[in-house]
Amino acid sequence: MGDLLNIFLKSVFIENMVLAYFLGMCSFLAVSKSVKTAVGLGAAVIFVLTLTVPINWVINEMVLGPNGIFKTDLTFLRFILFIATIAASVQLVEMVVEKFSPALYSALGIFLPLITVNCAILGGALFMVAREYDFAEATTFGFGSGVGFFIAIVVMAAIREKIRYSAVPAPLRGLGIAFILTGLMGMAFMSLMGINPANYMN
Amino acid sequence: MHSNKYITVYTVAMTLIVSVVLAIIVTGLRPAHEANEAVFKKRDILSAIKNELPVDLESISDQEVLSLFNERIEQVTLDANGQPVEGVKAETIDMAKEEKKPEAERLYPMYIYKGEKSTFYLVSVRGNGLWDKIWGTIALQDDFNTIAGVSFDHVTETAGLGAEIKDSPAFKQQFVGKKIYNDENEFVSVAVVKGGIKKPEHQVDAIAGATITSNGVTEMMENGLEVYLPYFESKKNK
Amino acid sequence: MAEVETKVAQEKEPLFGKKERQLIIDPLNDNNPITVQVLGICSALAVTTLVKPAIIMALSATFVIAFANLTISLLRKGIPKQIRMIVQLVVIAFLVTVVEQVLKAANYPIWKQLSVYIGLIITNCIVMGRLEAFAMANKPWRSFLDGLGNGAGYGIILIIVAAARELFGKGSLMGFNIIGNSSQYLIDTTTNSFFSWYMPNNVMVLPAAALFVIGVIIWVQRARNQKLIDVS
Repeated sequence: MGDLLNIFLKSVFIENMVLAYFLGMCSFLAVSKSVKTAVGLGAAVIFVLTLTVPINWVINEMVLGPNGIFKTDLTFLRFILFIATIAASVQLVEMVVEKFSPALYSALGIFLPLITVNCAILGGALFMVAREYDFAEATTFGFGSGVGFFIAIVVMAAIREKIRYSAVPAPLRGLGIAFILTGLMGMAFMSLMGINPANYMN
Repeated sequence: MHSNKYITVYTVAMTLIVSVVLAIIVTGLRPAHEANEAVFKKRDILSAIKNELPVDLESISDQEVLSLFNERIEQVTLDANGQPVEGVKAETIDMAKEEKKPEAERLYPMYIYKGEKSTFYLVSVRGNGLWDKIWGTIALQDDFNTIAGVSFDHVTETAGLGAEIKDSPAFKQQFVGKKIYNDENEFVSVAVVKGGIKKPEHQVDAIAGATITSNGVTEMMENGLEVYLPYFESKKNK
Repeated sequence: MAEVETKVAQEKEPLFGKKERQLIIDPLNDNNPITVQVLGICSALAVTTLVKPAIIMALSATFVIAFANLTISLLRKGIPKQIRMIVQLVVIAFLVTVVEQVLKAANYPIWKQLSVYIGLIITNCIVMGRLEAFAMANKPWRSFLDGLGNGAGYGIILIIVAAARELFGKGSLMGFNIIGNSSQYLIDTTTNSFFSWYMPNNVMVLPAAALFVIGVIIWVQRARNQKLIDVS
């Protein structure tokens, strides 16, 4: 249990997808203009990461690995199968949400297609393989990374809403200052690194 | 709009074409991958004693690395008690996989470099950095005490900070000449310390801003060398 | 690199009319995928500590964009609408896998260094973006050129960022020592020399520095080209 909590805290704060690895920057910058839409995208990312990382874990172990159903090393198909899984599950989620919860769909709907090409989702799956997590760890990692993305994008949107009233030099307004802000946030989050939550338990 | 039948056929055909083409490419390239991997590993091991080699490691070709390695290096595999094991080649040992086994079943590689003048004993160590695993090769002189050189590598330490254990020649150079035993002949390893060296024979300066990685190196050196001690003792007594 | 491509373009006049040339030149500045379209930033940040991996990354991405554009443009009439996205992604993932495997065979150390980031070309939004916006509606040859142009535009920013970070962070360029604290460097900054005030700026090596450099590039570009300024 402690291990899982450790992975969760790490993926939320210390190894934050956006601020420590700079993954998912495209949608992070494009959708962080207002807090409301940022919350929508953030929630959708939590949802999709929690879903796809474990699914991709199963595919990696059961289909691609040397101990899978084909008994051969098919890891060269990893990219294709991972991205296909992500695209398919995003589409599935979109259809299910549309059918059963129109309210949620109108809130999340437009963000879902965006998510397929969000580097954070594929990055989550690839990191999960590189770090050799087991199933429970992979699920925790997926959820934690999603929460990390959520926090980062909402905070960023809040800052950008305020900065609109500041005297930023015209050529730097909008995108330019957003880059520099993200850099500063990234450096602030760097001060959290090296904190190993496991040391504070027991 | 296309019919469902068309879509199904399209998908199946696409999947088949893509997987077959990829399978052909991968099968064709696999020997090259394996050869590259072997050279990469051997270059890495030899880089621990790069100052002692007759050639400049960075400028020689892959082929020369292989022949240098095969000519000069004798491989020994040790078990968890430091006893030599027959039948397993040291270069086939993957430290990452050994780590997953129970401690008593682990195997440890040892490379003995026989140079023109002197012999060096190269051992592999592995530990934790800040973000992920770090590992390295430690070369000892034939007194089994003085370090002749080290090389480190890491999965993903921070560039410019923790990653300096690999990238900074000055950091690695500090280890040369350090002793792993104290005057009372007790094993003390070599520690990476912050803010001033007190025991110049057993300590090196840490990398600024990378305390955790530096501590990781200290721990890795201590735990990693410890398993080889029985072997060193048995060799020394001969 | 980009200049070379445009020169070639000018020589073969019949294939390269004014419009075709525009396809390559536009993304280099006025319509740059990173600084103007805001696409494909993830990899721009992660692989730009040193120039050499940045060049390899730029070439790999250009290859993938150009050939994905070409393939999708050739297939565009036959792709079933409902699974359009998946087909595009499979084509991209296929090309990326090829690049990864070839790189692993050709230059193993660089492959190790780029690790997961090669895979992330798949989700580099530039590729998907160009497929959707251009290749689905244009003829193969023009799509291919559009891919080359966007790849080069992406590569140029990647290389500028990497050059700035390597020079100021490590004091070297492409591995050649330019400025630093020993006689191995072209400009020696040891205590007695004229340049002894200089210190390599370690911040430039940190990931966050890539964001600052891109921010500054955007600033310069928009200051020179007022029509790109964000009015909102």
